[in-house]
Parts: sequence; C-alpha cells; structure tokens
Amino acid sequence: MNPVSRGIRNAFRNGVRTTSIVVILGLSIGLSLTMLVAQKAVENKIQSVKSSIGNTVTIAPAGFNPSSQANNALTTSELDKVKSLAHVSSVTETLAGHQSTTGSSTPSFGRFGDSSSGTDSTTTSLSSPITLNANGPGRFFASGGSSDTGTTTFSLPVSFLGTTDPSSVEGTSVTLKTGRAISGTSDTNDALVSDAMAGKNNLSVGSTFTAYNATLTVAGIFTTSNKSVQGTVVLSLPALQRLSGQTGDVTSAIATADTLDNLSSTTAAITSTLGSSADVTSAQEQADNTVKPLNSVKTVSAFSLVGAVVTGAVIILLTMIMVVRERKREIGVVKAIGGSNLRIISEFMVESLTLAVMGAIIGLFIGVIGGQPVTKMLVNNSTASTNSARTSFQRPDGMGGVFSEKISSDTTDTTAPRSFAGRFGQGVQRNGAVKGLSNIKAQIGWGMLLDGFGAAVLIAVIGSALAAGMISKVRPSTVMRAE
Amino acid sequence: MLEVKNLVKKFQSGDSVVTATDDITFTVPDGQFASIVGRSGSGKSTLLSLLGALDKPTSGSIVVGGQDVANMGDHQLISYRGKSIGFVFQNYNLVPSLTALENVMLPMEFAKMPKLERIERAKSLLAEVELEPDQMDRKPGRLSGGQQQRVAIARALANKPKLILADEPTGNLDSATGKMIFDLLHQLSRKENTTIIVVTHDLEIAGKTDRTFKLDDGKLVK
Repeated sequence: MNPVSRGIRNAFRNGVRTTSIVVILGLSIGLSLTMLVAQKAVENKIQSVKSSIGNTVTIAPAGFNPSSQANNALTTSELDKVKSLAHVSSVTETLAGHQSTTGSSTPSFGRFGDSSSGTDSTTTSLSSPITLNANGPGRFFASGGSSDTGTTTFSLPVSFLGTTDPSSVEGTSVTLKTGRAISGTSDTNDALVSDAMAGKNNLSVGSTFTAYNATLTVAGIFTTSNKSVQGTVVLSLPALQRLSGQTGDVTSAIATADTLDNLSSTTAAITSTLGSSADVTSAQEQADNTVKPLNSVKTVSAFSLVGAVVTGAVIILLTMIMVVRERKREIGVVKAIGGSNLRIISEFMVESLTLAVMGAIIGLFIGVIGGQPVTKMLVNNSTASTNSARTSFQRPDGMGGVFSEKISSDTTDTTAPRSFAGRFGQGVQRNGAVKGLSNIKAQIGWGMLLDGFGAAVLIAVIGSALAAGMISKVRPSTVMRAE
Repeated sequence: MLEVKNLVKKFQSGDSVVTATDDITFTVPDGQFASIVGRSGSGKSTLLSLLGALDKPTSGSIVVGGQDVANMGDHQLISYRGKSIGFVFQNYNLVPSLTALENVMLPMEFAKMPKLERIERAKSLLAEVELEPDQMDRKPGRLSGGQQQRVAIARALANKPKLILADEPTGNLDSATGKMIFDLLHQLSRKENTTIIVVTHDLEIAGKTDRTFKLDDGKLVK
C-alpha cells in the first residue's frame, strides 16, 4: 500500500473525529471562500463604479445651498477660462430653473435652485407629469415647515434646464422620439419636452406653451426612463438665461478631461482658475467617495479571509499534532521495520490533505450558497450607515421630508423622484451611486474554486509542517521504551 | 555472525549518568537461537535496541554480517533495520489500521519488493505461522493475542533477515500459547537459518535456547 492510499485510509480511522474536523474545517474554508467572493465582488464593483463615472470634473458655485436665496452663480465668462485650459476637451454649462404651474398655490420652498436674483412670480401653463407618492401634499407641507397644511391645489413645479448640450440631461442621454434637436448655444424659444410631459399636457411637435411670461415652442419630444428628466423642459442655455433674467449665470458645469490620466492635473488647473468662487470635484474624487463603503467591506473581508485561513491552518495543525502524539508508538514501529521519515511524513501529509480537501468540498458549498447573501449583507450594512449619515444634508430646508425620505428609504425603485434634491448638488447623486453599490453581484468562477482548493492545500501543508517535524524526531527506540 | 565488542550505552538521567550496558562483548554464530535473561532494569531491552539499531551505542561496536552497525549513517540504518533485522515485540506492535496481510507486506514494501511478490510471500509466511486464510484480511483488533504474535513473527521474517530480535515474545500470552509461539520461533530459525535473540524473564524458555546470556546491572555475567 503506497503512502497516498495509506494516508487517505488513515484520515478515516476515527470516523467521529474525522467528521468533526471536516465540518469545522469546512466552515473555516467556507468562510474564507465567502470572504474571497465578497472581496472580488467588491473589487469588481469599485472598478465598475470608477470606470462608469469617467473623466469628468463637476463645477458648482462655492458653498452652493439650494435653500439659500443668496447663492452666487458661476458665470459663462469664468467658465470660458476653464474651456481654454489645456487638457479640457469640453465644458457643458447648465442653468436650472423652476416654474409653478398655473392655478396652484405657491409652495413655501420657493425657487428650487434658481439664482438669487429675486423670486419668480411667473408660472407655466404646463403641468408636471411627476406625481407625489401616497404621503400626499398634506404631508409635504407639514414637513416643509408651512402652516398651510390645508392647501390642496398645489401641484409640483416644472423644472427648466438650460444647457449647452441638450442631448444629455442630468448625465442621461435623451433620445428624440419626434421633432428635431435644438442647439445648446442659439438663443431661441425652442424647447425639448419628454413624452411624459407631452402626454400630460397634450403637446406635440410645434405646440406652444407659456413660461417665464414667454411663449415657447416644442421642437422635439424625447423619451427617457428617468422620472426627474421626464419632468424637465430642456432649453438652450442662452434662452433660459434670457427668459429667467439671469444673463451670464450658470448653476453648474461639467468639464471633461481629454484622458483619465490628465484628470487630476485638469482638476487642479480648474480649481486654480476659479479660485474660491467654485467647488470643483473630479469624478475620481466622487468615485473615491462613492466607493468608501465598499473599501470598508473590502477591509473587513480581507481580515476575515486571513482569519479564516489561519483558523483552518490551526485546526489542521492541532489535529495533526494530536494524531502524531497518539500514533507515536506506531511511528516508532514503522521506523523499526524500515520505514523512512520521508515515507511516514508523506502519509501524514496525505492524511492532512485529505481532511483539508474534504473540508474544502464542504467549504465550496458554503461559499457558493453564502457568497452572494453575505456580500450583500456586508455591503448593505456598510452603505446603510452612509445613507443615513447623508440624509440630513440632502434635505433642503422648507422642502420637507417627502423627497429625501423617499430617496433614502427606497432602495429598489429606480424611478423614484429625486430630481429636486439631485439637481442641487452631489449628495443625492452620490446617494444614487451608493444605492447602486448594494446592487452587487458575487460570482464564483473556476479561478476562485481553484483558489479555494489552493487555500485548502496551503492549510494542509502549513498544518502538517509541525507534525512532520515531530515525526522526524520520533526515535525507533520509542517502541522499546513503550514496552 | 553477530559480534558485539565493548558495547557501552549511557543515559543522562537528571544530574546523574546511568550506564545501561557496561562493556559487553559476545558473539553469536549464524542460525543460533540465543536468549538474554536478567532482572528488570538489567539492560536487556537496551541491549536489544542497540543490536537492532534502534538506538546508537555510546561506544563499542556491533558487527552483523561484516557490517559495523554502530558506525552507520541514518539512511544505512533504515535500510539495515528493514532488510537485516526482524523485530518481535511483547505487545505485538502491529499497525492497527492495516490487515494481517498488509502488516506482513509492510517491511517488504519498504524494501521495494514488487507488489505481487509481496502478496505471495506474505500469504506464504502467514500460512507458515498457521494463520487461517480468513484471518489474513482481519485487522489486529479482531485477532487474539496469539494470532497477533504469529502475524508479528511473519512480519519479522518478511525480508529474510539475518537476525531476529524478540523482546519478551511470550510475555503477554498464556503459557500454552507462549510455548506454541516459542516453538514456532525455534522451528523457523532452524528452517531459515536465521539468528534469533530472545529477551525473556522465563528461565524455562531460556533453557531451551542454544545459548543464554545473563545481564546484571548492565554487565554480562554469563
């Protein structure tokens, strides 16, 4: 009988002990594999988030507060300096505005993100296609600080977006369904509306509506699944600047670096150019901030992985030491009848390997079954604290809890309305990204299975190393002394 | 021929040094059946360990078939123990996870004998020690003391050793079985022309051997 078959047979000499060791080892290897799965999934997600955010730099007025009436907007002349910087391939400028709908009462939160130049008293003939959730307007006002809880004529205001790039709204590409595109630089009263907005207001290409005391014409109707974009009328930047009386003002801008490698230097150059008048955030920073919860998951899983592997190795180590002590006499006999150290150590290593491989098989089952739920749980726990920490600063004063609560609590409805807060800053954008983080896929591939078996072999080798040393020190005369 | 010259083995025991064998010299011709007698602690088992190369002497020489065992390296000792020596222990010392047949095959496997040859010889030896065929596939736990000692004798003969060393081979057996085992050893030594040295307390058994050595406090007195 060769050392391999003897080693395998020896692994089953004590059924109860073998079962116990294999189960404990299985749990240990299962935990290792689960943590490996979590780590790989998180790494993939981090890469995916970073690559999806791209090489853009977000520029917003310094200390921009959507609830404040005293924000200092950026100006097109400031952004012209940015356009002339090296490695800046393009700059998209936007101006946000809102109009109350005809016949509705004015809500207490006033102007969503408009410039500080007075209060808009004008209304639009349009109605927003966005509907409130079951909480209703009553709660909206109650949370918003208004005493006018009895108002029932309120309907959501309509968002207006003036942009130099009308093909993309809030980072979402829009697809024209009918009509034509508009130029982002020409000062005309042409507008793009969503099919939802058109449906709500019986609009078609060529129809007109009123806003900012002017008549605007529907040039094109686009489709989008983004709820907030559905409630937005898109104009050219000069048109909205003129209509809203904010000539030269810009709410935010997105600069694109020519390559990802130049992103940091471009961000620094823009910051230097705009000075304290703007908050400049690169996509890299956003990505880093977004994936912060995942990095903590990565750390936890790395420590757990090491801990589980070490535990497995210690289990095997102690088991093999116990076995060697038990079989000291037998080892002496085998040496006395011509068995070499190498031969005996080989048998013990095969025995150790057999236990580890059986544990690995159980561990693989645990890893396959537990990988996804454990990864989700770790990510959810980590992102949940991030979400709750951010909820407070996402609420514009007077706007109430409806929108922010909806955003922070609803982690499954991707169509949840979040335009109002979202346009004001990056808090909600990040929240959206964080929400996306929990949508993580953990998969076990062949490579990972091989890693699992590799870990089992490593555990067996480490675990039997000390036992091998003990075996080599057993003298054959032990068998005589035991007599 | 086994030649032992000025064999000394000393152990450290706490602060003092114990001399287990003290300047022992003797010779045993090939094929002779010899016995070593003495009280407990007289050095019998130590002498047997030294003869079987299980331990190294402090000084002196042990020459078996012209080879000085005392000066052998570790690898040579493994080979010497496997091929030139057969052991029979009081507690049989069979490997509990192996069957009777596999236990007898084990030394032959260490000596790299081909598998079919090993099986044939093991079966033949077990038949020679009168173990029933249906008992050959049993593990030691399912054999009686006498049967286990028969298997141990067959294992000791596996590689046709020059020397068989038996430490109290009948010590754990009843007198009838003990006599049977002793007769078996005697008979096999004659048949195989193997030198056998038996350590025993039993003077009756010692009296039946070709030659008896008596140890007292590590010294050979007879």
